[in-house]
Order: sequence, then structure tokens, then C-alpha cells
Amino acid sequence: MSLASERGAMPADSEVMLELQDVSHHYSSRRDSFDHGVHHILDRVSLQLRRGETLAIVGRNGAGKTTMLRLMAGIFRPVSGRVLRRPGSSCALLSLGLGFQDSLSGRDNALLSAMLQGASKREAQAFLAEIQAFSELGDSFDEPVKTYSSGMRARLSFTTALMTRVDILLIDEVLSVGDAAFREKALQAMQARISGDQTVVFVSHAEAQVKKLCDRAIWIEGGQLRAEGTPKAVFEQYRPGPPAGKTA
Amino acid sequence: MSLRHYLTLVDTMARLSLKADASRYFFGYIWWILEPLLYVLVFYVVFELILQNRREDFLVFLMCGKLTFIWFSKSVTQASRSIVNGKGLIGKISVPKSLFPIAVIQEGLYKQAAVFALLFAVVLGSGYAVSDSWAWLLPIVMVNYLMIVAGSLIAAYLVCLVFDFHVLVSMGMVFLLFVSGIFWDPRDLPDPAMTETVLALNPLAFIVDAYRQVLMAGVSPELGHLLWIGAASIAVILFMLGLMRRSSEYLALKVVTS
Repeated sequence: MSLASERGAMPADSEVMLELQDVSHHYSSRRDSFDHGVHHILDRVSLQLRRGETLAIVGRNGAGKTTMLRLMAGIFRPVSGRVLRRPGSSCALLSLGLGFQDSLSGRDNALLSAMLQGASKREAQAFLAEIQAFSELGDSFDEPVKTYSSGMRARLSFTTALMTRVDILLIDEVLSVGDAAFREKALQAMQARISGDQTVVFVSHAEAQVKKLCDRAIWIEGGQLRAEGTPKAVFEQYRPGPPAGKTA
Repeated sequence: MSLRHYLTLVDTMARLSLKADASRYFFGYIWWILEPLLYVLVFYVVFELILQNRREDFLVFLMCGKLTFIWFSKSVTQASRSIVNGKGLIGKISVPKSLFPIAVIQEGLYKQAAVFALLFAVVLGSGYAVSDSWAWLLPIVMVNYLMIVAGSLIAAYLVCLVFDFHVLVSMGMVFLLFVSGIFWDPRDLPDPAMTETVLALNPLAFIVDAYRQVLMAGVSPELGHLLWIGAASIAVILFMLGLMRRSSEYLALKVVTS
């Protein structure tokens, strides 16, 4: 979906696709949860993403990785600071879990996802055969998604996002499930996209995948950038700690 | 998102949902008509058979009221939870939040087309004839639709902010069912001043009465009041669409973290 940049223009450097300037974010959840109900997610974080770059975000569960992707995608607005996207660029967040309407078939969900990401109905319908073939769902493609196993959901989710062309792809842990054969196929398809012009932000716990796919990595912890550099250098500093009791 | 794409999405979401709904039930699409008819039957049993209503044409009278009221109440009730139910999509894509209630209303509109066809068939089958005043049905249906959109957007927004509001929405529909003259006639009230008050203050009572006046009495509704309700609804709709647009990310945060 095309999202115009908000509050201010992009810097003169035309190769910058996305920029976070001094972004802080927190939100209050239900009362009496913890920390007086306020979750501190990001504290004055700045970073730039250039065209064709593949950036990895690492951090423990609950560190704010998914929220950071949602801020980048324009789903959330930061409490302070600015998120700038290159005007006219499209941006999609690819994640597992919800996002499907359970009573609809895989085909109808794929159609809807593609249309919500900006494709016209005709374009979306043209993707469907490709999505059915790549996802290897066969006849299940026309069954309601509620009958799917989690692996089948992952395949449908990944394939739908892969087939719809967007300028900035934000990937949240999506390459970590499914059977080994499909995971390998998905990884290869992802690599083919990344080696081209595709700009990608990639959240993953899989060190090998990050090192294989990404040019650069950042480690966020306690709302701040703790390290930034090559995936190898960042993973040397980052040692996953105990989970914080919630997923990012 | 262009208006054209928005409307295509609304139409697609409504159709897909209708299809999924129909495949879930044994009677499928028949429920579009069967469900409202069962509601009418329940009221008919209570008010005609048990309470011995003295109206000659009570069945037609009841159908004019109940079949149009259900359109309003079901649309608003379902639309009120639509944004919250869209949690999965809202956490993944930045979409206009109004898309969800509008798609639910569109779904209701497709179903209502069949219900209206049934209503008109029953009216004609009961000995009423098509008169010039039937031309009023188009503006009445349009204003009725605008009321549904206005009510749905407000309800969906409030349920999004505080989920507890959905209890009040259901309760509000029961209240409206009783005060809008669905199974009683505001024109039969002993005090004419009360009739005027009910029709002036409750837009739903006015609309239900307008359907009956046109279909059963061949009398045109009060144009000024109809226009006023339509204009007020449009003003509410524009305000709510603007509010949802401005607070789109806030609503997303509310829905995702609820």
C-alpha cells in the first residue's frame, strides 16, 4: 500500500527509502499490568534504510522489534520523532499468525491480502494461480483457512506477501516455520528478491539466516540501539537473554 | 487509497464474507430471508395470537416495521465490532479503519435487497396496490442507509476505544426496538402530541412510519423531516470518517494492544 511520508520531506539523498528520526514510542496497556501499565518500546531511535539494503533487527522477545516494524509500515504513529518513507513507495509487513479471516478460503484470503496491499482486483486475481502453485496448498487452497495447520498458514502468508510486489518489505520471523523443504524454498525465493532492488527489514532469531541474507544488523534492547554493524559484529555483542514474558 | 480502490475493496470484502457465511450454514443463502421471517413470526405469535392485536393487517404492518428495523439493528451491531474483529489485518497493514464497518454494512445491504423484494411481494400479495407514492421508497431507503452508516461508524469507533461499549450497543438496539414503533403504531397513541414527539425525536420511528405510510396508506412522508435526517446523517458520517482518518494509527494501537 502506498503511504505518503508524514510531517516533512525525505532528505535530499534519493536512495534513502525509509528513515527514523529520534523516534520514541510507548503505550499504556490495561491498568495494573506492569510498570503502571506503560510499555516503553523505543527511546529516541534514529536510523536510515537505503534502497536495496537488507537490514536485520535482532533483540530478545518483547524488545519492540514488531512494534518497530509497525512504526516503519505506518500502522502505528510514534509518540515523538518522525518516520519518513520515500514518497510513493509501497510498504508491506509480512508476519505470521493472525491476518487471515478464518472462515474464508485460502484463495479468498490471498485475494483480499493482495488487494489490501494495493493491487487492483484484476491484478490480485492474476496472482492467485502463482500463489496456489508456490504455496503447494493444492486443493486446500479452496478450503477455509480455519482448517489449515500452522505450517499451511505460514506457507500461504509467506507466498501471498512474496507475490505482491512492494518497495519495502518488512519481514517478521516469517522464515522460521513450515517444514524444512518449504523453508529452504522460501529462503531461496527470498534471496532472489533480496539480490535485486528489494529493500528489506528482517526480524529474526536465526543467526545463520541473518548472516546469509542481511547486509547490516541492529540490536535493540531497552528501547535503544545497542549495536549496529555487520550481522557478524552485531551477533558477537548480542547474546539472547531470558524471554521477557511477552512476544515482541 | 483511491476512492475507487476503497469501494472495490468494500464490495469484495462484503461478497467474500457473504459467500463464507452461506457455505457455513446448511440452508446457505436461504437464511437471508428465513432469519428475518422467523423474527416476524416470533412477534406475530406474541402480539397477534397471544395478545390478540385488533389490527386487521397486522402481519403487513409488522413486516414493514420489523424487516426494516432488523436491517438497521443487525448492521449497526455487527459493524460496531468490525474494527476490533479486524485486529489481524490491522496489525499487518495500514488500512483505512472505516473499511471494516462499511464492508459489514455493504454485506447487510446485499441481504436487505432480498428482504425488500420479499416485503414488497407480501404487501402486493395482501391486496395493496402500487401507487405513485411508491416513488418515495427510493429516498426513504437512501436516508435509512445513511442512518445505518452514521450509527455504525459511531458505534465502531466507540467499541474500538472501549470494548465495553458493545454491551451498550446491544442494549441500545433493544431500547430502539421498543421505542421505534415496530410492533405498535405511533399514530394510534391516545395523545396526538405524543405521536408527534415520537416521530420528531426518533428518526428510526419516523423512517419505519414512512415505509408504512407509503406502502400501506399511499401517503408520502414529510419531505422536510426526511431531508433533515438525511443531512444530519451525512454530517455525522463525514465527521466520523474524518475522525477515523485522523486517529487511524491510534485506533490500530488500541485494537492491537487490546
